[in-house]
Amino acid sequence: MTSAILGVGHYLPAEVECAGVRRPIAVDPVGPSTLAMQAVTQALERAALTPDAVDFIIFATMTPDVTFPGAGCWLQRELGGRTTPALDIRAQCAGFVFGLSIADQFLRAGVYERVLVVGAEVHSSGLDYSERGAPVARLFGDGAGVVLIGKDGARPGIRSAVIHTDGRHHDRFWCEYPASRQHPVRMTVENFRQGKHFPTIDFDSVRRFGEASLPEVIRESLHAADATLEQVDRFIICHVLPEVAETAADTLGIPSARLNVPAARHGHLAAAALPVALSEEMSSGRLGPGATVCLAASGAGYAWGAAVLTL
Amino acid sequence: MRNTRILGVGHYLPSRVVTNADLTKVMDTTEDWILERTGIRERRFSDGWTGGADMGAEAAKQALERAGVPARDIGCIILATLSPDIDMPASACVLQHRLGIGGMPAFDVRNQCSGFLYGLAVADKFVKTGTYDHVLLVGTEVHSTGLDLTTRGREVAVIFGDGAGAVVLGPEPDARRGILSTHLHAQGKFAEKLWLESAAARSRPRLTEEMIAGDGARIFPKMEGRYVFRHAVTRFPQVIREALDANGLAVADLSLLIPHQANLRISQMVAMGLELPEEKMFNNIDRYGNTTAGSIPIALYEALEAGRIHDGDLVCLAAFGAGFTWASALIRW
Repeated sequence: MTSAILGVGHYLPAEVECAGVRRPIAVDPVGPSTLAMQAVTQALERAALTPDAVDFIIFATMTPDVTFPGAGCWLQRELGGRTTPALDIRAQCAGFVFGLSIADQFLRAGVYERVLVVGAEVHSSGLDYSERGAPVARLFGDGAGVVLIGKDGARPGIRSAVIHTDGRHHDRFWCEYPASRQHPVRMTVENFRQGKHFPTIDFDSVRRFGEASLPEVIRESLHAADATLEQVDRFIICHVLPEVAETAADTLGIPSARLNVPAARHGHLAAAALPVALSEEMSSGRLGPGATVCLAASGAGYAWGAAVLTL
Repeated sequence: MRNTRILGVGHYLPSRVVTNADLTKVMDTTEDWILERTGIRERRFSDGWTGGADMGAEAAKQALERAGVPARDIGCIILATLSPDIDMPASACVLQHRLGIGGMPAFDVRNQCSGFLYGLAVADKFVKTGTYDHVLLVGTEVHSTGLDLTTRGREVAVIFGDGAGAVVLGPEPDARRGILSTHLHAQGKFAEKLWLESAAARSRPRLTEEMIAGDGARIFPKMEGRYVFRHAVTRFPQVIREALDANGLAVADLSLLIPHQANLRISQMVAMGLELPEEKMFNNIDRYGNTTAGSIPIALYEALEAGRIHDGDLVCLAAFGAGFTWASALIRW
């Protein structure tokens, strides 16, 4: 029994110009769960299923609606109906691949029939669009993508999902505050005035790590799926710097016709990037049933991963 | 498909004890009021730059030692918390760094009081499918830096404490032993009954000075206590019975129930509702308060130390909390 792809959906808010670039930007009071609900509606429509068909929600984000409860609970509230469990995970830019791996375990163990894997982010409300913050802020966009996965004897679905973390570099791409480790108060007005609640990126380190980790993890995912580079119809590669995704593709000899770099079009959507790009490819008819896709991401944590899916 | 077994358990509690009497010095409350309403006598607060990952690493080392598993053999790290060390990346990354290991996946589970059991459900499946042989699962919280320790915040602030617990999971070839099943639920329509709003990606901007300080501060947890209580005493017994039913077992078969240490009054009502004798339930909330994701592994550690769990015992872990989320796991030890 395999974990088949039953439906894919995405939602991007309208583009707005900020820090000199056009990006999909959510408006108040929209959180990642709000964007995700739009994507879920599309995915359920495409799968010809109702919200009741969802047995388990896995929500990957690094920009939750509120501090707690998790974004998955807010999405579950919109979805309505049963007491469907909603797992919230944090694995940053690679969160969607982590979510796919977790979904695959639950399906293979026979616990659930259909699992909704969500990647959604509202970065824009937490960025510094002043001159000081613009080099980081301009990289990001908001959006949501979902994949509904279900048990299916006939379709191959998730053929591999490999995930990794190296926490030694956790401060190379991070948002330090609020920080529960700061005593006696995790967020002070002084921390706020210093802008410690905005993300910072060590570009050299993140670039080098992305260029090394992406080709390696793509090869690993292909090996685990028993697939060759030539058998993959589309490589969707997520990195905060689109040129790093392109360099990784060059390293592997992936022709540009088979490469999709979501950050080049929408800015960095982090956990949402991979399902958004997959859904776009399917909406436009460029990918359909039977197509094989490799999804790869490397980012904050450092966390990285890749998955091979056959639609 | 193989089962999953808990190979080792560890815990870490900060040394600073904060008694109810200590709290009466900073807010308008009394020792008896706290004790009567919650069953809590004291809790621990951490100091310095101690975060959940720092405490979790100590708990993890103890769990690994007891499991006889070297840190480098961990296939996957899962950390459950609602009080992360830093905003991003996950505290699991910091924990991995503290343990001096890398390469294996490390991620956070953010499911509040049910976080440890949501994490256990995930860890169980990773081992069952054969994806990883050893999973490290940590539940850890530093609440003390996020509480309104004034009269205004007393309803919530008196309940919570800091602490960490960890388990190392591995394969169990005998299908009748180890983790028999896990059961997860959520009901987001009650999200605002127990929540912490700011920082919130849905408000623009996510943080302002007004959200951080002053009368309108939104960086402290809020709770409608009676509402939470009412749902807890319904959902706990339901999800415990669900676990027993799924395995063809009954309350009478239970050797020990370890509930999330939310409130002693809730636990007592749950035991009463299930007609479970008091000696079959483990409570330590009097000493640590509610440590959310940390409470079940800390209690499990103490139950083992106290000789309350024997080979072949049927142990049920159950939780209810913010989300609302609730969950159970049934284990044949």
